[in-house]
Amino acid sequence: MSMYNNAETSPSQNDLLYTSLSKNIKIIQQSLGHSNDIIIREIRIGEAEPHSLAIISIDGLSDKTTISDSVIDKLMANIEEEQDIEITTINQYVRNSYLTVGDVTNIEHFTTLYSAILNGETVILLDGFAEGIVTSTRSAKDRAVTEPSTESVIRGPRESFTETIRTNTALIRRKIKSPNLWIKSRVIGDVTQTDVAVMYINGIASDKIVAEVLARLDRINIDGILESGYIEDFIQDSKNSMFPTVYNSERPDVIAGELLDGKVAILVDGTPFVLVVPALFTSFLQSAEDYYQHWMISSLIRILRFFGISLALVAPSLYVAITTFHQEMLPTPMLISIASQREGVPFPAVVEALIMEIAFEVLREAGLRMPRTIGPAVSIVGTLVIGQAAVDAGVVSAVMVIIVALTAICSFLFPAYGLSNTIRVLRFPLMILAAMFGLFGVMFGIMVIILHLCSIRSFGVPYLSPFAPLVLQDQKDAFVLFPRRKLLTRPRLVNQKNIVRGHNYINVKNRK
Amino acid sequence: MAKLNWICLLCILTILLSGCWSKRELNELAIVVALGIDKIDEDYEITVQIVDPGEISMRQASTQRSPVVSYHSRGETIFEAIRKMTTIAARKPYFAHLQVVVLGEDLAEEGISDALDLIVRDHEFRKDFDVIMSHEATAKEVLNVLTPIEKVPANKLLNSLDVSEKAWGSTIAVNIDELVNTLSNKQKGALISAIEIHGDKKLGVDQTNVQRVKTPVLLQYAGLAVFKGDKYMGLLTESESKSISFLNDKIQSTIEIIACPNKGTLSTEITQSTTKVKGSFKNGKPKIDVHINVEQNVGEVECDIDLTKNKSIDYVNKKTAQGIDERVEKTLEKIQQQYEVDVFGFGDALHRANPKQWKKIKDEWTSIFPDLAVAVHVKVTTQGLGTLQNSLLSKPKEE
Repeated sequence: MSMYNNAETSPSQNDLLYTSLSKNIKIIQQSLGHSNDIIIREIRIGEAEPHSLAIISIDGLSDKTTISDSVIDKLMANIEEEQDIEITTINQYVRNSYLTVGDVTNIEHFTTLYSAILNGETVILLDGFAEGIVTSTRSAKDRAVTEPSTESVIRGPRESFTETIRTNTALIRRKIKSPNLWIKSRVIGDVTQTDVAVMYINGIASDKIVAEVLARLDRINIDGILESGYIEDFIQDSKNSMFPTVYNSERPDVIAGELLDGKVAILVDGTPFVLVVPALFTSFLQSAEDYYQHWMISSLIRILRFFGISLALVAPSLYVAITTFHQEMLPTPMLISIASQREGVPFPAVVEALIMEIAFEVLREAGLRMPRTIGPAVSIVGTLVIGQAAVDAGVVSAVMVIIVALTAICSFLFPAYGLSNTIRVLRFPLMILAAMFGLFGVMFGIMVIILHLCSIRSFGVPYLSPFAPLVLQDQKDAFVLFPRRKLLTRPRLVNQKNIVRGHNYINVKNRK
Repeated sequence: MAKLNWICLLCILTILLSGCWSKRELNELAIVVALGIDKIDEDYEITVQIVDPGEISMRQASTQRSPVVSYHSRGETIFEAIRKMTTIAARKPYFAHLQVVVLGEDLAEEGISDALDLIVRDHEFRKDFDVIMSHEATAKEVLNVLTPIEKVPANKLLNSLDVSEKAWGSTIAVNIDELVNTLSNKQKGALISAIEIHGDKKLGVDQTNVQRVKTPVLLQYAGLAVFKGDKYMGLLTESESKSISFLNDKIQSTIEIIACPNKGTLSTEITQSTTKVKGSFKNGKPKIDVHINVEQNVGEVECDIDLTKNKSIDYVNKKTAQGIDERVEKTLEKIQQQYEVDVFGFGDALHRANPKQWKKIKDEWTSIFPDLAVAVHVKVTTQGLGTLQNSLLSKPKEE
């Protein structure tokens, strides 16, 4: 694989392979700590002048069938027939004539040898040659491509990414069969040596953003990358912002759509969650299915989501503010009804709200972490404790239960999980502001949040665009969704050069 | 930099010190829905009707407790009386949800301006409640009557005021803002709906009042009370009150009864009525033209009349117009001669018509008004006959 030749570390002199096979083997075993999953198979080829060679691989990472059928079998069976091999060129014979494996490269350094076998390749070392032959024997011990578990749709593709980066790149390539779909790879993590691939469509994605992504990836200096969350944290613009400025998805169709918008995807080996930058606030409120169904319905659902996010954010604080400071705002029958439910409740409204919201968060978290079989038990306890018993016991009022339930349901409305977490957390400071200053406090909190949102950027693109700054032509795919025939141009602030989607829309280009 | 951050943090923290200022929990409030003001000697006696939310709510089974509680207290001023009330009430009265203010008849005779000052000045009162007057009873007695169906008597007061304004026309719901505006206009007289108690006043307090099929003690709107300045002058009868509504363009729907050509009666339902008041000056003499445009349906026929004929419809139109015209003129005369107060806003109409002339007569308006020439023109059109053409009576004769 080309990756190993490009090994960026400049190898020192003692990193070079030796000519002596036994010395090489000894060093390899020492460096890998005599781990018992390293398989070193020594065989001799040729009868007249037997020549020893070693086949090195790691058990479990490499494909045993390929090794035995295409490597060992070939070498042992055929060498005998050709007696007149020149000793000096035997490595070329082995490489060119016997190995029936697709991908074969030469290496000269121990470091590249290690990374090869740790990636599941098999290395053949010949006695008398200070070089090794890498044969591609990676085994695809891969989870099958299954239905996405976090972003489900009714209508739309049923596939999701897996933990293997190759499968993931293939899933995207299968959607975008363009030679312009380019992949730039990096290996990040001093110890874990995790493969990271940056995917973009050349000619659509902004060169500046691609360069910036690669530069930020190159700056990462850490021992290990176990999930794309590590990368996200390293490359995001505002590290102290709770709002996610990197989008992620486990759906190939979503990623393909984002790539067509001119965005850049970052795939990390070992996780099905693929990152996308730049991420805008609106992306987190858009579902893949929006594009697969009628635009009017999608538009209505999007409005519903914007409504839901507001409700999830402010419902409890509005309740607290209105019932403790602005009772005059309620219609009289409603005031009397709420007042009757609050009769005998021992806590102030804000304490009641905090108790219920925290209880809900606890239940939610418990439901997530529990073994799946115990999950239903948690929800039963939850409904009984939070819903029925707490009201009957007079600890909380029934309205509060409704408010909490409403908030909870609304926070499940987001297609992207990342934003929903942020909103859930921001609820609490708003509730405290509401308890102290009433609606004044709530408005203050909301203004701070909006100002913050206006101030952050994702890879140079304002987070709140196309609302702030207002880009009129991008409103077609923001708060509402216009019919597909109107979606002729790519997002303005993400794309500067290639903004027109189809080749027959020249008019739009001229209009600019 | 770190020092600056600390200073900022301290500044923010000081905000927290004032936290929860003016906070009131819902269960610390006594929600006042009705306020009654009476005058006893030199003191004000106020009555507040407070809702017991637990009794109103649907959830709990009804106990024997009354849905509302009324508290009374006396003081030199209304403000004093209200604050004094905290010594007897369980919670501090909360006036933002006040629905209706009942002014006692005694207070009304002495003048209501002083009593309304606090209500208009205080920020806790929202200015969206109606004002009524108790007739032949004190406000305290009115607010001490339990009402069936509407658990909160204040709601009943408000609802029947509204409904009878819309479907009958003998009451006018007067908002506090309207009342204050009228009172501050020297040329105009105020009108307030008056309520009276039927039955033994003392029994209304009892829970039995709402437990029987036939309610022993009832609250009924008697008609409109006429105010001159801020003083109560007298009560108009129901039909006079209706005529006032016609003149003030307040009729939304009402009933008119006319006599048939050959004995019997016919009632019509007025579905729409618009009144235009036009002022004019002729040789410096003010004149008022009132155009009342009425649309009606035939509601009930208790005589032999062939409604399929245009002639009969013309007859109905003419008779209705005549009836309205007669009563309106009579009422006008009463108001002009007896009370001598412009409750119709004729002065405003003249002002609009000719501001210069109006300025000249403005100060003598009270003396001019009784002799003001008012011409009433009533026009009636009949739109529909209902789901029946001729009366059931007329059918057998044809066969």
